[in-house]
Amino acid sequence: MTAVALSHLSKRFGNHLAVRDLNLEIESGEMVAFLGPSGCGKTTTLRMITGLIQPTSGDVLFDGESVVGIPTERRGAVMVFQKHLLFPTMNVAQNVGFGLKMAGVDKAETARRVTEMLELVELPDLESRKAHELSGGQQQRVALARALVVRPQVLLLDEPLANLDANLRITMRQLIRSIQHEMGITAIFVTHDQEEAVMLADRVALMFDGVVQQVGEPDTFYRRPSTTRVAQFFRNSNFLHGVRSGNVVSTPVGDIEVDPVQVADGSGDVILSVRPEEVKPVLAGSDAANTVPATVESVIYMGTHTQVVAKIGNSVWNVQTAAAFNPREGEEVLFELPKEHVWIVKDDSNSQPDAVKAS
Amino acid sequence: MARTTELTDLAERESLRSRLKIPLMLAPAVGIVVLLFGGGILVGLGQSLGYFPAIGLNEFTFEYYGSVLTDSNFLRSLWLTFRIAATATVLSSVLAVGFALVLRQKFAGSRLATFLFQIPLPVPHLVAASGIILLVTQSGLTARLAYALGIIDVPGDFPAMVFDEAGIAIILTFLWKEVPFVGLVVLAVLQSVGPQYEEQARTLGANGRQRFFNVLLPLIMPGIMSTSIIIFAFTFANYEIPLLLGTRFPSTLPVVAYRLYQDPDLALRPEAMAISIVLAIVALLLLIAYRRLARYAVR
Ligand SMILES: Nc1ncnc2c1ncn2[C@@H]1O[C@H](COP(=O)(O)OP(=O)(O)OP(=O)(O)O)[C@@H](O)[C@H]1O
Ligand SMILES: [Mg+2]
Repeated sequence: MTAVALSHLSKRFGNHLAVRDLNLEIESGEMVAFLGPSGCGKTTTLRMITGLIQPTSGDVLFDGESVVGIPTERRGAVMVFQKHLLFPTMNVAQNVGFGLKMAGVDKAETARRVTEMLELVELPDLESRKAHELSGGQQQRVALARALVVRPQVLLLDEPLANLDANLRITMRQLIRSIQHEMGITAIFVTHDQEEAVMLADRVALMFDGVVQQVGEPDTFYRRPSTTRVAQFFRNSNFLHGVRSGNVVSTPVGDIEVDPVQVADGSGDVILSVRPEEVKPVLAGSDAANTVPATVESVIYMGTHTQVVAKIGNSVWNVQTAAAFNPREGEEVLFELPKEHVWIVKDDSNSQPDAVKAS
Repeated sequence: MARTTELTDLAERESLRSRLKIPLMLAPAVGIVVLLFGGGILVGLGQSLGYFPAIGLNEFTFEYYGSVLTDSNFLRSLWLTFRIAATATVLSSVLAVGFALVLRQKFAGSRLATFLFQIPLPVPHLVAASGIILLVTQSGLTARLAYALGIIDVPGDFPAMVFDEAGIAIILTFLWKEVPFVGLVVLAVLQSVGPQYEEQARTLGANGRQRFFNVLLPLIMPGIMSTSIIIFAFTFANYEIPLLLGTRFPSTLPVVAYRLYQDPDLALRPEAMAISIVLAIVALLLLIAYRRLARYAVR
């Protein structure tokens, strides 16, 4: 059981800051996801934790002790790389048993654990195959088995499920989760898929451009995104500009009441937001509060629900409603923005020029 | 039914054509090679078997092989030849791997170092041999330096490395020439593989020694296999370096053969050819055995 802490961690490549002043504490036995778009510094951060690259500044601590001076092979942090990197000169069993062999575990024990692990990743009977005789997904699972079989203190996974089909991905997620739980492994995994992050992780750290934007339990990214960009990354681009005074935000399409307890921050010019799933269509003449008029732009029937794109004031909103709601294009409708779901986000469209464009 | 047989006929003809295509394309080149080299080998073989019409020998006989193989000096020369070739091959492989491991790293002046490392490649063996003579004879630079520094009392105390039976100068010359050759092959493999497998091994707990023996060595082994075969074959058959730097007796087999061949007495030619043919056969057998052994070891 090892707690990992990253303190003011930065990495510069030439004059490019790949990771900027990253602070994060990961509890022992916790599973944290680094989530973010390509090139935001996820792999770089993992490599600093393993010691394969040295931080430009800042510190990496295992159980409160700095490990920056300790070579990779003695840190006890096992990494599964983005390119699964099976040793080409070894067969599957030798690959999986590599860590055990290095640790001097005897042959019989190694063989037993390798077989057991290969069964867990659903690859029995492949022990004598060479790496190049496996499919991409099989290679990825062998790489996963090779890491899990040593029961690492800290497990670092760089997009470990990227090459798997939907079903296998679910199975492997469960496998990783159960082994990690069982052995109390502290795990960090990298993904650019927000669904995977929220399904697998205890907490998520969302990174853009080398900077951690928000850290928290998965649902906070849906209910409490800190900025417009974070909200958009989680598929919410419903924004409405307004001016807040007290519990009320005045917008061009009417006054919207907010819950003062939940939405304590933000006054003056604000951007309010409601997730697509929480916006409710209401019938004209209903006495619901917090309603706004909208013009329907498109309606897509999705089977289980209907996806409505509508214009509220100058902003384009996505609304996900019951399949039965089926307005015509161009129709004027009324949407309720339930008070308990109204949230205020910070505008960071300046740091990302095209961020507030509807996606 | 008829249609299927027609189709298979067609497929067969097609595959026959594609199978013959490459041999046919290679035929002209192979023909020239066979004519030039095969002709030479045949003449040599004929002479070794006593067919040498130029001096009036027309009867096939194993007499020359017999006299070569029963000569008590033959085994001694064969052993010397083998020892020098094997030592040069093993040492050049080991040293080359060492150099390659250093040169693959980025350090101040690493490009210059790699450039210097390659300099021996285009230098002719004879020039290399003269350089070595200059360096390691008892009147050479190293001996004089050692004398000047008071390490040895008289230049004659410097160990004999040239014209010695151990063949130290011969081996040194081979090393100077072949280490860069093997080294560049190994370096190319290491650079194309990159550091990724070692990084993976490190996070799985492998220390430097373990990474070298378990990860790197298996990756560069095929390259070492091929280059060591080339080097062994070359050093085993080379005559000019041992002729220049070796003892007069015993001499390596290629030197013995060369002397017999150069002798004004043409009657010695068949024996020279017999030695050369034996040398080629021994080399071939050794290389086959080596490949077998290596394949077994890799598995
Ligand atoms: N060795 C390096 N030298 C120079 N720049 C680098 C190096 N490694 C990474 N970078 C740069 O640092 C930034 C972060 O890279 P990193 O590999 O951490 O991204 P990532 O978040 O893992 O992206 P992806 O999801 O595409 O794997 C990128 O802009 C990348 O080009
Ligand atoms: Mg990456």
